[in-house]
Amino acid sequence: MYFAGVDIGSTMTKVVLMDKSSNLLSAIKGPTGPEYRQLANEVMRQALEQASLQIDNISYIVATGYGRLNVPFADRQITELSCHARGVSSLFPNVRTAIDIGGQDAKCMKINNGRLISFVMNDKCAAGTGRFLEVTAATLGIRLEDMGDISLRATKKIPISSLCTIFAQQEVVALLSRGEKLENILAGLHDALASRIAALARRLGIEPDLVLTGGVAKNTGIVRAMKESLGCEILVPEEPLLTGALGAAILAKETYMKAVAVGEALPTKSRRLEKPTFFS
Amino acid sequence: MVVEKATKTINRLESMHPLRAKVNETYLKSVEAIQAGKPAVWGMLNFYYGDPILKAMDIEVVYPENYGAIAAATGAAQQYLDRADAEGFPTHLCGYSLTTLGYASRMMKELKGQIPPEAPIGGMPKPLFLMSSAAICDARYKWFQALGRYMDVPVWPLEAPIPGIKEFFIEGYYDRMVKLGVKHLRDFVAFVEGMVGKKMDWDKLDKTADLMIEVNRVWHEVNELRKARPCPMHSRDFWSAMPAALFLAGDLEDSLRLYQDMYKEVKDRVNSHVGAIPDEKYRLVFAELPPWHSLAFFDKLAERGWNFVIESVGYHPPIPMDLSKVSDPLERITKFSLQFLVGYYEDARKQNVLGGTTAYPYLKYAREWKCDGALLHPLISCRSASTHLPYVSDMLMEKLKVPSLSIEGDIVDLRLFNPEDALAKAEPFEETMEHYRKMRKQAGFNW
Repeated sequence: MYFAGVDIGSTMTKVVLMDKSSNLLSAIKGPTGPEYRQLANEVMRQALEQASLQIDNISYIVATGYGRLNVPFADRQITELSCHARGVSSLFPNVRTAIDIGGQDAKCMKINNGRLISFVMNDKCAAGTGRFLEVTAATLGIRLEDMGDISLRATKKIPISSLCTIFAQQEVVALLSRGEKLENILAGLHDALASRIAALARRLGIEPDLVLTGGVAKNTGIVRAMKESLGCEILVPEEPLLTGALGAAILAKETYMKAVAVGEALPTKSRRLEKPTFFS
Repeated sequence: MVVEKATKTINRLESMHPLRAKVNETYLKSVEAIQAGKPAVWGMLNFYYGDPILKAMDIEVVYPENYGAIAAATGAAQQYLDRADAEGFPTHLCGYSLTTLGYASRMMKELKGQIPPEAPIGGMPKPLFLMSSAAICDARYKWFQALGRYMDVPVWPLEAPIPGIKEFFIEGYYDRMVKLGVKHLRDFVAFVEGMVGKKMDWDKLDKTADLMIEVNRVWHEVNELRKARPCPMHSRDFWSAMPAALFLAGDLEDSLRLYQDMYKEVKDRVNSHVGAIPDEKYRLVFAELPPWHSLAFFDKLAERGWNFVIESVGYHPPIPMDLSKVSDPLERITKFSLQFLVGYYEDARKQNVLGGTTAYPYLKYAREWKCDGALLHPLISCRSASTHLPYVSDMLMEKLKVPSLSIEGDIVDLRLFNPEDALAKAEPFEETMEHYRKMRKQAGFNW
């Protein structure tokens, strides 16, 4: 028996495959793009190839994330909050607080024994999300993945006063033209984002262990700024983008095994991986 | 984004419809009054201080605050918001105020005092004067002052001081509040008499005050019935039916009969275990004002088994009190209004909770109506309905282990509320509510 979790985020699509003993068989990610139904299809194909499996071999598939309702082959949809909570807990059993900073939103979760018990989200403003960093990287003409390491070379932090992503870009450009060093500006920018997220997390009440996930957790500058802002240790998974898909795969397995245990036949979707049409 | 028309899952009360119609009746009567050369006034929600006086003087009253909600619910608000924006009012001001400032600008600057033809439910006619009130909302004086500039009519500010809980229990404080209130109302009566050129009919005021108190007592009893499981009446019916008691919309004797009819219908539902939604899985308290432009959102939540069994204290009637021995109608009105403002203070003091008019009642409601969760709706353009919500959330969790879900939005500006995003949070919040259901049981609570 094999199980799949598909996480369609606003920026990246992730697929995790596992067997009934929870051994990871493959974990693949790719950019979501504007037509996420087609990419889910493609990322799933790559994941199956990596695990040497066929789509028909998958007993149960759970989709999560912002595009979860548009995965034609998924048997069940579960919100990303529940999936992240489960995925993070499987990697860090003592986790009590998880912060996931994705491309479109930031989520702070309180977790108890793998269960989501409370959450808050920043979903109205790009300033507390990965989009803030993406836009800034594009403005500065640097690679997103280099931002963190560059900021670690800072000798001081230039405060970014604007809370708005668009105005912050203007502020960054003005600072550059004033002769401020890029690394110092980036350190200030990371501080601004970290303090917004920290305020959100404090609203929930922070308890250790605290785990940071999502694409933004790959930014070393943000991790450092978050540690300073929250004043506590922060754990980061080896692959912080995959916790949602991992949680979805675990929940797929649990759902299926529970049904098997009581002799219930779960309805499943067609296991086709063809390119979806308008009507599929 | 306005949520698309959903299947109507909420089992609406039949008796709600004639009460909801009272709102339209009020606006039409105000237009008719002006056409017949009689006075009409724009009033601010004043929690019973000024309304019975105007009613006893046969003055029709419309409420810009209520009209803002109507404009939002009928999709008419945006044009007025845009107009207020063009007039230079900052977009972060109260959505109700912006809507009516845009309306006033259109009516006075463009149409020379005529009601805009596109105005929903007949529109608000140019008033004889404006009656503002400081009760609960801090923006009201300035809003009405600004309206007054467009209308070129007098503005009477009704004072309604709200003490803190500790201050309220200083010896003699209540009596001084009553004295102040009565004096102020006497001044208001004199002002109104001067404006309309006739004397107050004190017998009529006496009867009006009694009717107002009785209407609100019956309305209170209707809401007490909602403690039943399943809850027989959804918040949507509450909001539709509240204007006749809260604003004294329409004829009071008629309203009393209609609330009595509603009591009977709700009681019948309780006796036959009929709920306001088909399958009540979760009982919720709603705070504060709803997104009027996206009320179909509640049907979507009803499909998930979410029943909204109680809502903001700010729109609920005061806890009933015996005022039959108070002979002066102005004193009776003052004490009734004060009961709305301070009626929960004694309990709040015992529970050591702040916010006797705001935060504490939510604790009482969640406990007595046995709520599984609270849906908080902080309003981007309203401090009064938003600043206490984090404290409400903390108190509900600390004292009752009831979790809250906070979804930002606005009462009028639909661009600030994303129902799809809000619905996406519903499923994980159910997990949270389930968790705290177990926690409450472990802590010895009985729900």
